[in-house]
Amino acid sequence: MTGSGTVGRAALERDAMSRDNGVEVSPALLKIEGLSKTFGGTRALIDAGLGVREHEIHALVGQNGSGKSTLIKSLAGYHHPDPGARAWFAGEPFELGSGLQHGHDRLRFVHQDLGHVLELGVIDNLALRHAYVRGRFGNIRWTEQERSARALLSRFGIDIDLHRPLAEATPVERVVVAIVAALQGWEGGQGVLVLDEPTAVLPPHEVAQLFELIGEVRRTGASVLYVSHRIDEIFQLADRVTVLRGGRVVATRAVADLTPRELASLMVGEEVDPDFRAEVPAATGAPALLEARDLRARYLNGVSFTLHHGEVLGVAGLAGSGSEQLPYVLAGALGREASGRLRLPGRGGEWADIGPNGPTGLALVPADRAREGVIAEFGVAENLTLPILDRLRHGVTHSRSRETALVRDWVQRLQIRTAGQDAPISTLSGGNQQKVVMARALALEPSVLLLCEPTAGVDIATRIALYELIAQQAERGLGVIVSSTDIGDLLAMCTRILVLRDGVVVRELDGNQVTQAILHHAIEGTDEQ
Amino acid sequence: MNPTMSSPQNISAVGAAGLGAPGPDTASPETTASAPRRQAAAWVRLPDALSVRNIGAIYVWLAIAVIFAIWAPSTFPTWATARQILDENAATGLMALSVVIPLCTRTFDLSVGFIASLSAVTASYMIAHGVPVAAAVAIAMGGALLVGLINGVVVVVMGVDSFIATLATGSLIQAFITLMTNGIAITSPRLAGPFATIGQASIGGITLPVIYTLLVALVIWFVLEHTATGRRLYATGFNPESARLAGVRTARLRFASLIVSALLAGAAGVVLASTLSSGDPQVGVPYLLSAYAAAFLGASQLRPGRFNAWGTLIAVLLLGTGVVGLGLVSAPNWAPAMFTGVVLIAALGITGAKRRALRRGRGHRL
Repeated sequence: MTGSGTVGRAALERDAMSRDNGVEVSPALLKIEGLSKTFGGTRALIDAGLGVREHEIHALVGQNGSGKSTLIKSLAGYHHPDPGARAWFAGEPFELGSGLQHGHDRLRFVHQDLGHVLELGVIDNLALRHAYVRGRFGNIRWTEQERSARALLSRFGIDIDLHRPLAEATPVERVVVAIVAALQGWEGGQGVLVLDEPTAVLPPHEVAQLFELIGEVRRTGASVLYVSHRIDEIFQLADRVTVLRGGRVVATRAVADLTPRELASLMVGEEVDPDFRAEVPAATGAPALLEARDLRARYLNGVSFTLHHGEVLGVAGLAGSGSEQLPYVLAGALGREASGRLRLPGRGGEWADIGPNGPTGLALVPADRAREGVIAEFGVAENLTLPILDRLRHGVTHSRSRETALVRDWVQRLQIRTAGQDAPISTLSGGNQQKVVMARALALEPSVLLLCEPTAGVDIATRIALYELIAQQAERGLGVIVSSTDIGDLLAMCTRILVLRDGVVVRELDGNQVTQAILHHAIEGTDEQ
Repeated sequence: MNPTMSSPQNISAVGAAGLGAPGPDTASPETTASAPRRQAAAWVRLPDALSVRNIGAIYVWLAIAVIFAIWAPSTFPTWATARQILDENAATGLMALSVVIPLCTRTFDLSVGFIASLSAVTASYMIAHGVPVAAAVAIAMGGALLVGLINGVVVVVMGVDSFIATLATGSLIQAFITLMTNGIAITSPRLAGPFATIGQASIGGITLPVIYTLLVALVIWFVLEHTATGRRLYATGFNPESARLAGVRTARLRFASLIVSALLAGAAGVVLASTLSSGDPQVGVPYLLSAYAAAFLGASQLRPGRFNAWGTLIAVLLLGTGVVGLGLVSAPNWAPAMFTGVVLIAALGITGAKRRALRRGRGHRL
């Protein structure tokens, strides 16, 4: 990761005041105790506590579903916590919960969805979050507005075109503007800036810029609560770290006292058997089904691999590593933005270029179900048969009876719960919608199935049903590629996993290496290799 | 909870509730419309098909007809008036149908009015200069095709927003027409010759333009409802990204839809020139508004939420009947425009409310 090294050193040279080497110096500026939150029957947060000191950069880490967001949202006043939660700011108790407008005034939040109006420039985005400078007739005094925006940004040493729409800004510029917008009316001094996974959308080389700004915020006298699941960032940035696992706080430690490996183990949990092996048949020795060479796209810098008959190949990596882009490249969905070569040895075996030829014929289950998967205005049947309409033709006419029979068959095979074939897809649960999208891909009778985030927003029972479905299909010789940010998906389904970082394969796990601990360390870059 | 049972009440409630009576909520999960029941005999499904939710505009249309029949008993309920309504609205029908296909793909073609003017002027010019009818029509249609290609290139290849792009090409067409005609309508005795049969002859008392319109509606209905292409057109309009990832060639369909609209608008222009026996350089533009009005009102009928052929024709008929009726009762000259505006806002407001209700339902279940 370029640039991160210098930031790492900068972290070591920080003023001694903030890094107290674990010695209790200042009392907590923000303190929370006994915070629990129950959704329906699920306890998302159990008796959590947290203390953020003055001038401290405090990291909050945990895997997906560990309760990080719930804690932050309770703090921000989006969730009302269960009774018994207590909170203090600078020794003064305050109420947690949704009754307040935006939580405590000295707590400022930058959520993952930055909340910008991308068509507008910096000045407007700052003013919309705070207030416009008005003239006597209610008119906006633009010169003054610009001056105040400029002053605000210069305080953090930021140089950015104020008038250009944010849509044209780089991802890190958008994050920076969101942070500055959140800090309006703050005027330095005691306070806590809460950043919820601000690097999730940043390409690796832009992260250093963000870290500089965070350091700048600390210099104005504030503390930072930094939410992340990326271990490398914690060690570059934070003084102390609080680890959440399964809704409980498992540890709060000074970062200097930890190694990345120890931190990762805290996140994953000691109770996990490091030799745990998912129950998946190995597909070694099977003939090659798909060969991909030198795949390139915005986040991919030359990936090559071979997929075998009946193999379920996982693709793992942090956001921006290229893992989420790989299936789209293979499907030919990125058009000319991607390049590379593909070969299906079973089908002629000619090398074909990706890119200019459009779709490659490999079946894709896209990551974002609502935006890329289902068509909300269509019924179940219409959604399911969209890619295979040509097969349902009777002369020029679309055969309803054939469509009905085919859809009925898939609804039964995948146990899709629907009010009927014509029921609008939007009336189905997320899991059942996903089953329809999955059926749509399988109905193509593909030789290779490409899955992106196959269990996002899917309940646990459906999740297991989908795992079993994939295992069945693989047994029949289908090759599957799974890209998921959910480690559970990869462990449950995959015989082999490619770990990507910065657009290249950095590790390949198979056999008894496919364990939660090894995979987690490989993704985070904390493995010993 | 049976949707087929609740429909008769809806029908009886039409008088009071008009277009707005909410139909049965087919989205509710209790209505387990299993495959066998949907294939039940046609008469079982009939009441559902006749519900206000599906064809509210027909009931409104009937109500308007009854009102005018009572208001002007000697002039309105006559064959002459019926034929007048059909004849006056055949061209509107064609124009409205021309924009249905692009609208399915959520593409606006606002140049159709100008294309109609162009082909009317071109055909008239050719006829006036002694070109045979078939050749004159072919040249006029060729011009329309060319405009369709230009629209396709600007909208699909260059990626300009269709609303503004087709407005721009429309402006270019108008400039070209004015250049050719100097803004003066083309008239010639030759236009009253064989060319006039295209728009003025009739079969069994029904003028040819009415028949053209019905044929075009039939073809569009068939394509949208009974072919894979129709399904893909709707998919492109509803969610282009999902459709593209499911293998639908969305760009190609949008391009083709602009060709179709240009050709249909061109045909409408030829029909208008023949009916009026003149090549008026402004003839098509006034139809633009009613074409879109009818297409949008039509999208709230028969297949709610989907632009469709018969719904569009029902809407043309509804609006046309009101306008003709108002003329017969010597309503003030502002009345027809007001009638059109009120009907449109009412109908589209109700459709919007229905869609919002559906979206809320989606939010709960996700």
